[in-house]
Amino acid sequence: MEHADLAAAANSVSLISLFMQAGLIVKLVMIGLMGASVWTWAIVIDKYMNFKKAKRQFDQFEQVFWSGQSLEELYRTLSDRQNTGLAAIFVSAMREWKKSFERGARSPIGLQMRIDRAMDVTMARENEHYEARLGSLATIGSAGPFIGLFGTVVGIMTSFQAIAGSKSTNLAVVAPGIAEALLATAIGLIAAIPAVMAYNKFTADAGKLSSRMEGFADEFSAILSRQIDEKLQPRQAAQ
Amino acid sequence: MKTSLGTSLVAHTVILAWALVSISAPASFEVAPVEALPVDIVPVESITQIQQGDKKAPMTEKPSPKKTEKQNVVENAENAGENDVDLKNPPTPVKKPTTTETAAAPPKNEKPLPNPTTENNDVKEIAKEETAPKPVETAALPIPKPEITPPTPKPEPPKPEAPKPEPQAQKVEETPLPTTAPVPAARPRPEPPKQEEAKPAEKPPEKKTDTAHAEKPSDKKVADKKQETAKSSSSKQSDFNAEDIASLLNKQEAAGGGAKRSQQMASLGGKKNTGGSTLSQSEMDALKGQIQNNWSVIAGVDGGKGMIITVTMKLDPSGAIVGRPEVTSSGGNESARRMLEGSAIRAVMRSSPFKNLPADKYDAWSEVVVNFDPSELL
Repeated sequence: MEHADLAAAANSVSLISLFMQAGLIVKLVMIGLMGASVWTWAIVIDKYMNFKKAKRQFDQFEQVFWSGQSLEELYRTLSDRQNTGLAAIFVSAMREWKKSFERGARSPIGLQMRIDRAMDVTMARENEHYEARLGSLATIGSAGPFIGLFGTVVGIMTSFQAIAGSKSTNLAVVAPGIAEALLATAIGLIAAIPAVMAYNKFTADAGKLSSRMEGFADEFSAILSRQIDEKLQPRQAAQ
Repeated sequence: MKTSLGTSLVAHTVILAWALVSISAPASFEVAPVEALPVDIVPVESITQIQQGDKKAPMTEKPSPKKTEKQNVVENAENAGENDVDLKNPPTPVKKPTTTETAAAPPKNEKPLPNPTTENNDVKEIAKEETAPKPVETAALPIPKPEITPPTPKPEPPKPEAPKPEPQAQKVEETPLPTTAPVPAARPRPEPPKQEEAKPAEKPPEKKTDTAHAEKPSDKKVADKKQETAKSSSSKQSDFNAEDIASLLNKQEAAGGGAKRSQQMASLGGKKNTGGSTLSQSEMDALKGQIQNNWSVIAGVDGGKGMIITVTMKLDPSGAIVGRPEVTSSGGNESARRMLEGSAIRAVMRSSPFKNLPADKYDAWSEVVVNFDPSELL
């Protein structure tokens, strides 16, 4: 069968014929790599949209937050929605604050700790959301060339076996088999290069968002701590 | 995520489809028909330093002429070949025996031309002319004929018969004739007695000649007869064979080549050695060493740096220097150059005669150029 393929290959070296001539393993490798490429680009598009949206939301929220609006009012408007990013952190902190005051918190230190914890948890969840699927980008980026190389090696091996069978070293016989095998590496590289680039870019973006959230959490924690002090002072004085 | 995955899929499909259409079949390379040029790398030595060998044979390490079948050594032979004599012309293949149209022996003539007879039987011819007794003989020679004819015609008919009996008689008495003259015996004998008497009376002049050569006539007659028999035999049998004679004369084939023998297979080379020998490195070192041993550099000479002294000398086959070596030098300062030139000449002269030089490579060391570099020794 491979002999026949080689003989036919002498004439056609187009991409589709190269793919059709390839052996089963090489075909599987090529299909897998094409799927990886599709997945990579899907992630890239998804992440790009997500990060753009998240950035816009961060900007909007910060604008609203520092506009001097009452935090109670802001909480009331936001608590009904599903929030992400800074808004989610703000809502989780306010929720904890509210619960503590409704039940009459005794220790300001305990309250502060609880609010920080709540914000940390929310922040971790948000970070996880931002960094989701970046791992698969990294995997494709690093493993793609190797998978392609594996396909090439297998393709060249079978091609050489076929050449040995055909007992001809004519370049017209040798070349198509090797070209077909090299196609696997090419597809691997096509999938891996955007994956690596996207992984680097999105990790950096996620890091930026994460640091921005941390900064906001710290600031908000400081505000709340001041508020706690102000609110608890009269009580202690009264006692 | 679903939307992005769909987008990605669509984008991939579009790109793949475009790739299949646009880069489906890359244009194959145009291969210009190039004619291969065979290139041989020929060392200059194969032209300038031809060794004796065969022009058409493949090159081997040691050139050798074509292998000869004979192996007996002929001294001083220079040209390879199978001959016993060293000829210069190259050996050519022996031609197949062809039917050569050689002139056959002359057809039988009753009257052979005078030329062949004169060559073969000089003496007899002369003797016959002196006597001029027969019309047959004289007829062949046009000039003597008119002189002699007037007296002879009439007496001749009887004459041939008349003298013959006499010789017959004398022959028996005086000389034992060779057996090759049986002709007279067949002639009629009864007549002689009659004519013997008549003859003397009729012909005194004729007789005179006979009497003048009283004893000779018999010889002449014998010669005549001999000649007649010789002629008749040659005309009848023609034992002259040109080919036999040629084969006897040509014991050597002219195109047989030289006589130098060769035991090896033929290899590339020329007809002769043309000064191809070169000294080997060890032979060169031996020559250098002999000079080096005799070269004492004068200590404390300044300015010898970068100086090169070249001594050109001619050697005779025994290794002795012929004439005075030529010295040239360059570099260094002049006084130092002069001193070192002297030392170089002395070194060369002292080491003459040179030993251990291969005699068969005399052409390589008949003229030797020695470069002295004193900078290493100073």
